Amino acid sequence: MSAQPTQNAAPDLVNIEVDGKPIQVPKGSMIIEATDKAGIPIPRFCYHRKLPIAASCRQCLVEVEKMPKPTPACATPVMEGMKVFTRSEKALKAQRNVMEFLLINHPLDCPICDQGGECELQDLAMGYGRSVSRFTERKRVVADEDIGPLVATEMTRCIHCTRCVRFVGEIAGTHELGSMDRGDRHVIGTYIGKSIDSELSGNIIDVCPVGALTDKVFRFKARAWEMVARPSGAYHDALGSNLWLHTRRGEVLRVVPRDNEAVNECWLSDRDRYSHQGLGAADRATKPMVRRDGRWLETDWEDALGTVAARLGAFTGADIGALVQPSTSSEEGALIARLMRALGSVHFDHRLRTLDFAGAAGGVAFELPVAQMERVGAALLVGSDLRHEVPLLNHRLRQAWKRGAKVYAVNPARFDFNYELAGQFIAPPQKLVDELLVLAKAAAELGAAPADRALADALAAVQASDAARAAVKALKDASSALVLLGDAGARHPEASWLRAIARYIATATGSALNVLPDGANGVGLARVGVLPGQGGLDAQAMLAQPRRAYLLYGAEPPHDFADGAAAGLALQQAEFVVAFSAYADEALKRIAHVILPIGLTPEIDATLVNVDGTAQAFAAGARLPGDARPGWKVLRALGGLLKAPGFEFVTLAELRAEIAPALARAPQAIAPPLAARRAGAALARLATVPIYRADAVLRRCAALNAHPLARSVAVRLNAADAAARGLADGDRARLADGSTLPVAIDASVPAGAAWIEAAHAETAALPPYGAAIELTKA
Amino acid sequence: MTSVVNYFRSLLLGELLQGMGLTMRYMFRPKYTMRYPMEHIPKSNRFRGLHALRRYPNGEERCIACKLCEAVCPALAITIDSAPREDGSRRTTRYDIDLFKCIYCGFCEESCPVDSIVETHVHEYHFEHRGENVVTKPQLLAIGDRFEAEIAAARAQDAPYR
Amino acid sequence: MAGGEIRNYTMNFGPQHPAAHGVLRLVLELDGEVVVRADPHVGLLHRATEKLAESKPYNQSIGYMDRLDYVSMMCNEHGYVRAIEKLMGIEAPIRAQYIRTMFDEITRILNHLMWIGSNALDLGAMAVFLYAFREREELMDCYEAVSGARMHATYYRPGGVYRDLPDRMPQYRESPWHKGKDLKRLNAWREGSMLDFLDAFTDDFPRRVDEYEELLTTNRIWKQRTVGIGVVSPEQALAWSMSGPMLRGSGIEWDLRKKQPYAAYADVDFDIPVGANGDCYDRYLVRVEEMRQSNRIIKQCVAWLRQNPGPVIVDNFKVAPPPRAEMKRDMEALIHHFKLFTEGYCVPAGEAYAAVEAPKGEFGVYLVSDGANKPFRLKVRAPGFPHLSSIDEIVKGHMLPDVVAMIGTYDIVFGEIDR
Repeated sequence: MSAQPTQNAAPDLVNIEVDGKPIQVPKGSMIIEATDKAGIPIPRFCYHRKLPIAASCRQCLVEVEKMPKPTPACATPVMEGMKVFTRSEKALKAQRNVMEFLLINHPLDCPICDQGGECELQDLAMGYGRSVSRFTERKRVVADEDIGPLVATEMTRCIHCTRCVRFVGEIAGTHELGSMDRGDRHVIGTYIGKSIDSELSGNIIDVCPVGALTDKVFRFKARAWEMVARPSGAYHDALGSNLWLHTRRGEVLRVVPRDNEAVNECWLSDRDRYSHQGLGAADRATKPMVRRDGRWLETDWEDALGTVAARLGAFTGADIGALVQPSTSSEEGALIARLMRALGSVHFDHRLRTLDFAGAAGGVAFELPVAQMERVGAALLVGSDLRHEVPLLNHRLRQAWKRGAKVYAVNPARFDFNYELAGQFIAPPQKLVDELLVLAKAAAELGAAPADRALADALAAVQASDAARAAVKALKDASSALVLLGDAGARHPEASWLRAIARYIATATGSALNVLPDGANGVGLARVGVLPGQGGLDAQAMLAQPRRAYLLYGAEPPHDFADGAAAGLALQQAEFVVAFSAYADEALKRIAHVILPIGLTPEIDATLVNVDGTAQAFAAGARLPGDARPGWKVLRALGGLLKAPGFEFVTLAELRAEIAPALARAPQAIAPPLAARRAGAALARLATVPIYRADAVLRRCAALNAHPLARSVAVRLNAADAAARGLADGDRARLADGSTLPVAIDASVPAGAAWIEAAHAETAALPPYGAAIELTKA
Repeated sequence: MTSVVNYFRSLLLGELLQGMGLTMRYMFRPKYTMRYPMEHIPKSNRFRGLHALRRYPNGEERCIACKLCEAVCPALAITIDSAPREDGSRRTTRYDIDLFKCIYCGFCEESCPVDSIVETHVHEYHFEHRGENVVTKPQLLAIGDRFEAEIAAARAQDAPYR
Repeated sequence: MAGGEIRNYTMNFGPQHPAAHGVLRLVLELDGEVVVRADPHVGLLHRATEKLAESKPYNQSIGYMDRLDYVSMMCNEHGYVRAIEKLMGIEAPIRAQYIRTMFDEITRILNHLMWIGSNALDLGAMAVFLYAFREREELMDCYEAVSGARMHATYYRPGGVYRDLPDRMPQYRESPWHKGKDLKRLNAWREGSMLDFLDAFTDDFPRRVDEYEELLTTNRIWKQRTVGIGVVSPEQALAWSMSGPMLRGSGIEWDLRKKQPYAAYADVDFDIPVGANGDCYDRYLVRVEEMRQSNRIIKQCVAWLRQNPGPVIVDNFKVAPPPRAEMKRDMEALIHHFKLFTEGYCVPAGEAYAAVEAPKGEFGVYLVSDGANKPFRLKVRAPGFPHLSSIDEIVKGHMLPDVVAMIGTYDIVFGEIDR
């Protein structure tokens, strides 16, 4: 790690000359940065603009005037008047010789290597290398390691550029790869043959210039030249990462990042990269289905939509409720809202995982844009397992931490972060608000009193701790500070309190407040009005006061609901449930009466609004399976049958023009009327959504669910809590409903909390987040 | 003088008789034609005919699904799907050649790094039904198995030139 | 009919007419049996060769060049690879140049044999066709021996030719009808290498040409059908941008092989035959003489090639793939092999026109490269196209049967005209 570029180089420029062409470049930048900007090609393997410089491959050797030997362009800072020759005899010879050395131990694998055709080594060997090798000895062989279900390794092909090592060290922050030994025994590996557990591990495939690290899901499927790259976006978290779908004959074979500095830079989380596996799941709905006399019949669209129109039209509006999956596109959302209003119903909502709706103004974007998050001086996470909730947002915070930012967390458990927290305030779910109040008290000591009476009263009852004062001081002192309310906070049963206190702390310390929206398109759906109308019931109330008919849009009960049991019960009892769904599994067939197959985000034209409030329109990239149709077309047909107003448009462009003003409108955060505090239970459930089970698509990805981050189902308990109930690690615990779960003693869980992850078959119907849990030894 | 000769030659149909004499002479020469299909004209060892997929002597198929032939095929006649086999090796799950599209340029054979796809000396084949023009992997392997001796001999003879 | 309007008779000549050569559709306006207007229609054999070439790497289009003028295959390839070589600034090794010269001339003989046979057949002479095809078989055996295909060779490559000439010719096998001395007679030329075979062929060929001439040159029917028919004046020939025997038949001594020598033409001896009257008969004589001259060139090439072994393709793996043995052993070679067969090579941005003296005239390829691995634009200058365009002017006033003679003498092949 020699010769790092200085981060805050003075803006003044120096004049250099490259191949006789004068250019001006910022002082302190490296030659290769200057030539890249000027469009002059220099071969390279180890240099990557987002990674620290290693200068280990020596492929970028160039000739610099007055330097006796060729010098690596990636590690030579520019100097005034420097004359660089990238194509001189000396430079070319140096590059050619380096290439010959690199190829000495490279196996003759091109024909069986997945990288063939898109391999930097091939390209540069063709462009800068010799035609014939002079090497006649035996080539070395390196034993492979199995580093998990996502990345395939073939370490004999490695050229030791150490990009992957630097990636897992500097970007993923897990330091799981390293280089060992020297010379021709130099190998890259995990030291002990373990798997790579990072949530960003797929990116090492992209940074690897050769075929040493390749996509395991995509293994041997296709060549680069066979595939069509279509721009699209991620739909598993609200960041909305930009990506390319690599498709062949309409089938998505793999996904790679699409550069967007404002969103995902050049990275992609594993969740977004590998979720395409779920598109081809065996239980994909491919034909409209209607249940008649208790039997499921495949039918055509005319019949299915006619049935839906006739049945829905027979209910009075208030009897119908719509539950919309929060990653649904804005276009579909707008049409659902129109359809429900036309049916006379005000009961529709997309916040399926939210428990406390008080004061939750939908559609509020981040106050501090994503791109600026890596520049904050201090951050406070309130209820957030950010690494699992939005992996690349966590990467931004990690970058801030690397720059010296202090990150604090108020969490219901010691979540695993890939950076050091400056302070942690851990309390079980039922005491989380109290814990945050301590920080608020410290903030109140700075002067400003909270406007809200209830909050002021609550503050009066707590004492600030020194740790809290330190955290608040760090926020206050930082030039840019952030309070981030994560999923574990915003989906908390007392979320309105957490939100109000977080808002108060942010105001008092001059920080920005970022609240993670529900799902991937929570912001967009809220802006197009997929929120209960005047007097309408929210997602929880709709289940608590069951409707006679439900419109289930993309949501998979019980996994996508905060209270799976309530959802299951309400839907089961409904007289008519129409499910717009990409999947038709047995659970859905038990509750639905009509299943209309719709396309998933990669298969349809969809506009998603990300956390920054940026509306990103993605075009359909993959082929729809069978008779499935884009949701907006299905809704348009249904609206037409019901003669509903607002369905007169012909093209999607017309609809997009209609909703564009709403999507651009950022609603004001409303003053939160706080819900009443709830009595704390002795043992409350901490329910987080596992990273690879967040939605129906992810739950069908075999490779992701085989990854170590996808933990097996368990009740995770503090040792003391377990001992008090006579439970030991590995025991099975019986819950109130009679089901049993294995017990895992987990030091990261505070006393009073039972961490049972949601969205598993065994756990989806258990009491929701924050509810009391009774455990006995089974 | 010549004009007189020419006049008489013309009058006596000289040039016509000369031509007929030529054709008459050929009537008594040995036949140039062959009794196809009982006989064949000589065929070069470089002949590019019907395709085949070859195997190694131990019975293992040579093809490793590198797809070079698919990429180089100017007529896009080759379609390959690939996947890891149970033993983890890279193999084709589908190898179709559309003989209607194929222009028999020989690039596939030239590109193959493992001498798997070859154009054999077979030039007499036919289809009876629509769709038979697409030769599949098992068919190609069968052709290879049947003619392996000839294929190998022809390749060995041409090896110094390639 | 008194007082009725007299109208010319309009009829379709082709595309199914046996004398219409391929898919020529000629709309003839006849006044009795006299042609008033001839309107050639093209496009029935259009295969978008030029457009297709824009979608694939350079080398992959070589095989499609064969199929332009499908009776002078290797000459088309020659024009195409020369354009690429010109753009890339590479030159084929000298042995490859001689091989190309030799095969260009073999191709010329092949083309003229096809022409003489079919033209004679069109005008009522049957036997020439049979004899011409006999010689074509011998030469196609050479095509097959060297490339593996009897017609569409795909043999020339930028930087040389694919493989060196084989050192043995395939032989006839014994059969109940051909055995013993008979078989030995059949295989007499085929005992040695391909060059031996060609040597024997070139020794024999002039006598064969004599036979064609015996059948045609003095034949009164042939002369009646060709002498004074379809006279193209030198001015007309130039104005219609004719080339090859069409131009030389009118007395203009123009041959790219002499005027702008390429391959090894500067180093071989041959003469350019020219006609005097510009009628069909003169063009016939020019073509017959060209066969004799080609034979001469082949003989010289055979002698040179015997003496001078060497590489037949450039030793530059950035353009030409490495030998197979090296590809299986050497990392650099394998990478180059892989990249050349998938992506091909990138040709520097620029444009180039390269022409060869094809049997029918000047076959030119105009290539524009934008620096990618596929042509930005490919334009084929096919000699047949300007020739055919002149048909209205030339056949006007001729009788209907003379149109057949004229089409024959144009040496129309629709593969190159429609492209």
